[in-house]
Amino acid sequence: MKKSLVFLVLVVLTAALVAGCAGQKAESVLDKIKTAGKVVVGTSADYEPYEYVDEAGNFTGFDIELMTEIAKRMGVELEWTDMPFDSLIAAVQEGKIDMSISCFNYSEERDAQVDFSDAYYTSEDAFLVTEAFAGTIADPLEVAQYKIGVQSGTVQDDWVTTELVDTGLMPESNLSRYERVDQAALDLQAGRIDVLVADSVPAKAIMQQQAGLKIVYEGMLYTGPINIVLPDGDTALQAEVNRIIKELQDEGFIDALAVKYFSE
Amino acid sequence: MDFSRFIQYIASGTAYTLGVTLIALPSGLLIGLVLAFVAVYGGKLAGKIMDVYSTVLRGIPPIVLLFILYFMMSGAINLSPFWAGSISLGIISSAYQLEIFRGAILSVSGEQMMAARAVGMSKIQAIRYVVLPQMIRLAIPSWSNEAAIVIKDSSLVYAIGVPEILRRAQLISASTQEPFLAYITAALIYFALVFITNRVLGRVERKLTIPANP
Repeated sequence: MKKSLVFLVLVVLTAALVAGCAGQKAESVLDKIKTAGKVVVGTSADYEPYEYVDEAGNFTGFDIELMTEIAKRMGVELEWTDMPFDSLIAAVQEGKIDMSISCFNYSEERDAQVDFSDAYYTSEDAFLVTEAFAGTIADPLEVAQYKIGVQSGTVQDDWVTTELVDTGLMPESNLSRYERVDQAALDLQAGRIDVLVADSVPAKAIMQQQAGLKIVYEGMLYTGPINIVLPDGDTALQAEVNRIIKELQDEGFIDALAVKYFSE
Repeated sequence: MDFSRFIQYIASGTAYTLGVTLIALPSGLLIGLVLAFVAVYGGKLAGKIMDVYSTVLRGIPPIVLLFILYFMMSGAINLSPFWAGSISLGIISSAYQLEIFRGAILSVSGEQMMAARAVGMSKIQAIRYVVLPQMIRLAIPSWSNEAAIVIKDSSLVYAIGVPEILRRAQLISASTQEPFLAYITAALIYFALVFITNRVLGRVERKLTIPANP
């Protein structure tokens, strides 16, 4: 019984692996998009003001409006697929969605799995704390003495893990990883974490919606340019998206969007 | 802030929750029922295979099977999130239902099968006219448990992007910073679905009870 069980599990996993590796597509996703007349874009609509749900239940935000314009200029319909942030890269990799826009920063680990467009905006990190927080943070590494919360799979998670946990500056038990940034904000309010490390734009949006929060540090850690995530090695699609991003930057469209969504 | 709108947004995820449940539960029923009879009456080898089937599938967390089916197998079969979710929950449920029905079949005494065969019924006839009517009655209480579990497990499909009740509650929680309102709404909808399902099954159970043989 036990042997046959192990054998069966092995067979199933091997089959899944073979099946997973078998499906290499040769043609560019761009051709697929043009033929279908629509582009399927993934996002995690829980990151105001980049992407969130408005009162009518529609997706809105900086990324959403930008992507809408990009699809328009590609001459195709836009279909949104919402899924948790950690699932997005896998979904692009497996061709479940054509691309993803969800405030993605560049990182080497991600680059090994997927490709990036040129940057369309540059973001910073912020350390969000409650008003009761008495300390000051001059050097970001000083945050290691506190209990920290991050959204899992983000570059902030990566920074805290690499620079603070792996280097031994803080024990991993002091790091809480949340599926969404708003959950982390709740735990910050509840006192389960002292500092929430997040992208500065959503951090400010949360600060505006919830009383009693402040930012003690702002700067670039692993953040920086934010990009659209594209299927690995698809140069034709990358060129097309980059061309449109360049066009929108030159026309001042992206700057206007930033004023609309990010100005305090 | 317009709360009724938000509640409506969350509630409109019910269609997906019901859709996933209405595919997973009946397909699990069909597969589970057939496999249960195979397990009990199919001989030694078949019994062993069914044992492996149910042990493996009950040992895998539904979300893992979901990811395997949706992400890892995408080269072989390209399923939509909705179908990947419904099928994987159906497969997992079939293993649990197999055990529910196997237990119910075993509760119908073995002598009845022998008696049915002695009066000239075939094995299939004996199952159809003697064992099945009795075991269904015995299976309903545990089965309504499984129905409730599948309804609630259907929330797992949010992880691959099906806009069902839980995912909508998360999005509303994120955009309004009102988690209590969002999750209470979701909880009430799930409760209503489970409550109605259990009531209906309770009624079926009473209908099938034989007064002389409670």
